[in-house]
Amino acid sequence: MTPLLSIRDLRTYFHTEAGVARSVDGVSFDIGEGETVGIVGESGCGKSVTALSILRLIQPPGRIETGSRIEFEGKDLVTLDDEAMRNIRGNRISMIFQEPMSALNPVFSVGDQVAEVMRIHGGVSRRQAWDRAVETLALTGIPSPEERAKQYPHQLSGGMRQRVLIAMALIMKPALIIADEPTTALDVTIQAQILELLMKLQKEFGTSILMITHDLGVIAETTSRVIVMYAGEVVEEASVSELFARPHHPYTEGLMGSMPHIGHEMDRLNVIPGTVPAPTNWPQGCRFFERCRYSWDRPEHEHPPLYDVGANHRSRCHLAVEPQHRNQPHEPLVIREGAGAA
Amino acid sequence: MPGQTQDSARIEPARPRESPLALGVRAILRKRSSRVAIIVLGVIVMIAILAPFIAPYDPAAQPDIVAGKDLPPSLAHPFGTDPYSRDVLSRVIYGARLSLTIGILATMVSLTFGVAYGAIAGYASGLVDGVMMRLLDALLSIPRLLLLLGVLVAWPHLSIGSLILFLGLTGWFGLSRIVRGQVLALKHAEFVTAAEALGASRRRILVRHLLPNLVSPIAVASTLGIAHVIVLEAGLSYLGIGVPQPMASWGNIIYDGTDQIARLWWMSLFPGLFMVITVMTLNVLGESLRDVYERR
Repeated sequence: MTPLLSIRDLRTYFHTEAGVARSVDGVSFDIGEGETVGIVGESGCGKSVTALSILRLIQPPGRIETGSRIEFEGKDLVTLDDEAMRNIRGNRISMIFQEPMSALNPVFSVGDQVAEVMRIHGGVSRRQAWDRAVETLALTGIPSPEERAKQYPHQLSGGMRQRVLIAMALIMKPALIIADEPTTALDVTIQAQILELLMKLQKEFGTSILMITHDLGVIAETTSRVIVMYAGEVVEEASVSELFARPHHPYTEGLMGSMPHIGHEMDRLNVIPGTVPAPTNWPQGCRFFERCRYSWDRPEHEHPPLYDVGANHRSRCHLAVEPQHRNQPHEPLVIREGAGAA
Repeated sequence: MPGQTQDSARIEPARPRESPLALGVRAILRKRSSRVAIIVLGVIVMIAILAPFIAPYDPAAQPDIVAGKDLPPSLAHPFGTDPYSRDVLSRVIYGARLSLTIGILATMVSLTFGVAYGAIAGYASGLVDGVMMRLLDALLSIPRLLLLLGVLVAWPHLSIGSLILFLGLTGWFGLSRIVRGQVLALKHAEFVTAAEALGASRRRILVRHLLPNLVSPIAVASTLGIAHVIVLEAGLSYLGIGVPQPMASWGNIIYDGTDQIARLWWMSLFPGLFMVITVMTLNVLGESLRDVYERR
C-alpha cells in the first residue's frame, strides 16, 4: 500500500547573511492512511520547519531545495503550482497551530473564521458555510455552538480557542492534519481533553495526524510511530512501544531520561548537556557527538547513516555497529552554552 | 452531546455583541471629552446638512451693495454683512457645508490611495516595497502646501471637484506609511500564516485578514486628516486660490474681509470660530480613537 504522505530527502535551507542554515537536512519518512505519526525533538531541531515545508509555507530566505520530494495523494507538493497548492492547504492537508490566540484573527467571530475555510474551498453559500461551521464546532465539543460561533476569540478560553482551530482544520475533512505543538500553550487539564478530542475525531474520520511535539508524554498517548529529530535530521524512527522499550540513539535516551517520573526521587532532572548546534554550522560527523555520553572507534567526521536496529526500528548512531561502547559512558566533550539557534 | 467539555466553566456566559468594533465604540463613548466632541460635531454637521433651511438669507445675494455693506452684527444680521452686502451668518452656514464636504471627500481620496499604496508595499515587501517607499520619500520631501500652491497658481480657476482631488492626492503619503507599517507588522502574525495554511490566496489575506485589523489606525488618521484638510482649504481660500467666489467656505469668508481686518472683525471672528471648533472637536475625537486602540 502506498503511504498517504511520503517525504524523501527533504532539505529546507535558509539562505541568510550569516550563512546557509540547513534547518531540515535530508529528512525522509512516510505517513500511512489513518496513521498518527509523532515527531519529537528539542526546539531548533527542525520539527516545525518540516511541518511548514509540507504545506510549502516556508518564507524567504527559506527554501525547499531541489531534489526534495513530498509526495501526497500522487502529487509532488514541492513542484506543484501555487493554485493547486492552495487547493490542498486547508482542504486535503490542514494544520493546527501552537498558540490558539494568535492563530485566530481578532476582528472576526470564530464562526466566521471556521466558515471561511468552507468558503475558500467548498463553493458554498454564506449560509451553508455558517451552518457547517456551527456543526463542526459542535463536533469539537463546544457547548451551545450557535452562540459561541458569534463570539470573538478574546471571549473564549484557551481550550475553547484550540477547539475552534481544530474545527477549522477539520471542516473540509482533510486526509492529513498536522498538529504543531497543539497542547503546549494550554493548561495541563485542558491538554488531555484536547488530545482526547483529536484522537476521537481521528477515529471518526480516519484522518492521518502528524503530531509535532517536544513532549514524549503526548507522543506516548497519541501516536503509533515516532520520528526523533535532531539537528535537522531523523536520528531515530520506531513504533511507540519499541521506542519506549528500547531507545537506541543516545539523544532519545537523553530525552527519556529528562522526563520526570512520578515515584522516582531525584534531586534534579537529568538534562542533556549543551544545546542544539547552530543550523548554519552542523558538525561534519555525528551531529550529536559533542553532547553524547558515549564514544566510538570510527573517524570523528564519519556521518552515521540510519542503521537498522530492530523491526522497523532505525537509528542514526554508530553504536549500532559498535555496541560495546554503550558500556563505557563518559562525560560529554563540550558544553556549548547559547550556541544553538531557535 | 459529543466531546464532553469540562473547561466550559472557565468562560463567562455568552455575550454575542462583543465585536472589536462595538467594544471600541463603547470605549470611546465612555470618555466625556469624546462624547462632547461627538455632540458638537453632530450639531455642526446638522447645520451643514440643513443649511438651506436655517440660513436666513441667500449666501450669494447682494441685496444692497451700497447701504447694506460692511454692517456690524445686529439682529437682522447676527454675524454682520460683508463688503458685498452679503449676510455673513448665511455664508458661514453654507461655508460649513462646503468646508466639511471638501474635508470628507478629500480625505476619502487620500484614504483610497494611502491604504492601497501602503498595503501593497507592506504586503509585497522586498524590492517592490523598497521602490515604492523611496518614491514616497521623494513625495514626502515636498511640503504639501507648496505642492498645492504650485498647482493652484498654475491652474488658478480650478473647479471644486478638482480642488478636492488635489487636496486628496497630496494627503495620502503619511497614511500609506502607517498602513505599510501595520501590514508589515501583521504580515507575520500567526493568524496570517494560519490563513495561508488554510488555503487563502494572497489577495484574500490582504483584504479579508489584514485590512480589517487596520480599521483603528485608519479611523484615527482619517479623523485627523479631515481636520487638516479643512485648515488647508481655509488657508488656500484665504490666499484667494481656494474655493472660487461666490461660493462660501470658511476660508474665503475670512479672505473677503482681509483688507480691513481690524474694522470688519466679524468677518474673520465668526467663520474662524466655527473652523476652530470643528477642527478642535475632530482632533479630540481622533485622539480618543487613538487612545482606545493603543490601549488594546
